[in-house]
Amino acid sequence: MIHQLSIRELRDAITRKEFSITEVVQGFIDRIDQQEGKIRAFLSVSLESALAQARALDQKLAQGEIQNGLLTGIPVAIKDNIVTEGVATTCASRILENYIPPYDATVVRRLKEHGVIVLGKANCDEFAMGSSTENSAYFTTQNPWDLERVPGGSSGGSAAAVAAWEVPGALGSDTGGSIRQPAAFCGVVGLKPTYGRVSRYGLVAFASSLDQIGPLANNVEDVALLLQAIVGADDRDSTSVERPGEDYLEDLGKDVQGFKIGVPSEWFSSGLDPQIEQAVQASIQKLEGLGCSIQEVHLPHSEYAISTYYIIAPAEASSNLARYDGVKYGYRHPNAANLEDLFRSARSQGFGEEVKRRIMIGTYALSSGYYDAYFLKASKARTLLKNDYLEAFKEVDFLVGPTTPSLPFKMGEKKTDPLEMYLMDAYTVTANLAGIPGLAMPCGFSQEGLPIGLQIQAPHFEEAKLLRLAHALETELAVQRPTLAVDR
Amino acid sequence: MAISTQEVEKIANLSHLRFTPEELQRFVDQFEKILEYCAQLEALSTDDVKPTYHALTDELETPLREDQVKPSLSTRQALANAPDSTDEYFCVPAVIE
Repeated sequence: MIHQLSIRELRDAITRKEFSITEVVQGFIDRIDQQEGKIRAFLSVSLESALAQARALDQKLAQGEIQNGLLTGIPVAIKDNIVTEGVATTCASRILENYIPPYDATVVRRLKEHGVIVLGKANCDEFAMGSSTENSAYFTTQNPWDLERVPGGSSGGSAAAVAAWEVPGALGSDTGGSIRQPAAFCGVVGLKPTYGRVSRYGLVAFASSLDQIGPLANNVEDVALLLQAIVGADDRDSTSVERPGEDYLEDLGKDVQGFKIGVPSEWFSSGLDPQIEQAVQASIQKLEGLGCSIQEVHLPHSEYAISTYYIIAPAEASSNLARYDGVKYGYRHPNAANLEDLFRSARSQGFGEEVKRRIMIGTYALSSGYYDAYFLKASKARTLLKNDYLEAFKEVDFLVGPTTPSLPFKMGEKKTDPLEMYLMDAYTVTANLAGIPGLAMPCGFSQEGLPIGLQIQAPHFEEAKLLRLAHALETELAVQRPTLAVDR
Repeated sequence: MAISTQEVEKIANLSHLRFTPEELQRFVDQFEKILEYCAQLEALSTDDVKPTYHALTDELETPLREDQVKPSLSTRQALANAPDSTDEYFCVPAVIE
């Protein structure tokens, strides 16, 4: 079945002319037709234009106008907070329901230059704020392993679409775990690159000092392929960084003998699901078997991570989301009495509850009289959290642990208590605060058949080595995928 | 950490948001719970700690570029998503009587 093939396999099949690009794209469209009613991973699909692009690429290949490149003809999903020229980009919010971007995000432009075909825009939590897609203003995406459970978030649509084989790869964004947590919940591989590694131009801003775009796919090599296509400095994002000549593919398959693995004791404290703990510990033993050395390390300020993150991220969000005023784009109430009323009605009716909550918390943390106690205090705590990593990375090359404290939860289970939902991010937010890369990958399945995600974090700009380790572990674990709920 | 309804109203005002009385009450309760949790930071000694606003300050210099005109969005494109516009302007309700 075409839809079960990896990006690498699809590329090789296209090169060997086993399939045309049109056949590949049609294979995924058939899969979407068959599964999307159950998964609901997409806010919009562009199937006809995808087929037209596929036919055009086939013709160009046949006539020798282009060579088959890294990702020529590979279909992907793009999270709906990444802008796509001429294709609605809503951020899963009512306030941008009718927004048609006049330009492509740099990552989308780069993918298209590599011949990638965008099949659709993936559902997410509104403005990427949430851990379950339940904050989408439109609908909640189902977890393909258990349709009563959430796919995680905020990039839940991207992760579910990849897990259900509706696309072989996708882009998401990660501000506090929004690629890694849904990757863990859906049993796929997801990478949050180093801050600055990938241009944020065209990523609708949530928290600018934390946001980073990254790939999701069904295996480590496919994630490396997608990363290779999107990295690099961009004139339009002054925080993007050029590291020329880096190849994320050439070290895949090499041994990992002598790599030093740190296991932070703080990540295995109370609150961690025993099945996750067991699967992650078993994986750490496998790493030891591969010749890695394992040692316990400490991240002594971990307990302050959630507080720090849930002050800094909302503070930045309250500033970034000030642009939604009903004037330049987005929802406007038809009967606004005056300009002030126009702003207020657009924002009050356009934003959902969680987005309003974060704008309020952020405004409070930045407001006169509370700035020092909240925003400044959290920014100092951020320094301590970052220093924890710098100290740990003096001793070890990587940190390995769980991605999430719990298995995918049921829809509605945590929706009423925002704080309980925030605590789901305990192992992921620190990578964003410190700007380091983090990768989530499946390391097993629970007794209920739910995926378990392992996380690897590495020092700044060590993605190539990180992917090498993840690839070695993936090969060693050879996790057997049970049959998807949607295929049973 | 108690927070008053008036305080939450003030923050709503600063945020250009409006809430119904029921929404506001629910909000006060959640707000209180979240702030209570975040108050754990008070226990952390940060007297000699510099704040971090950007994770990679050491890596990044302030990037400067040549001041050159480059292609950008046309006026028509920039106005295309506006709920109300004329040939060259975004339109809003009159602000001057």
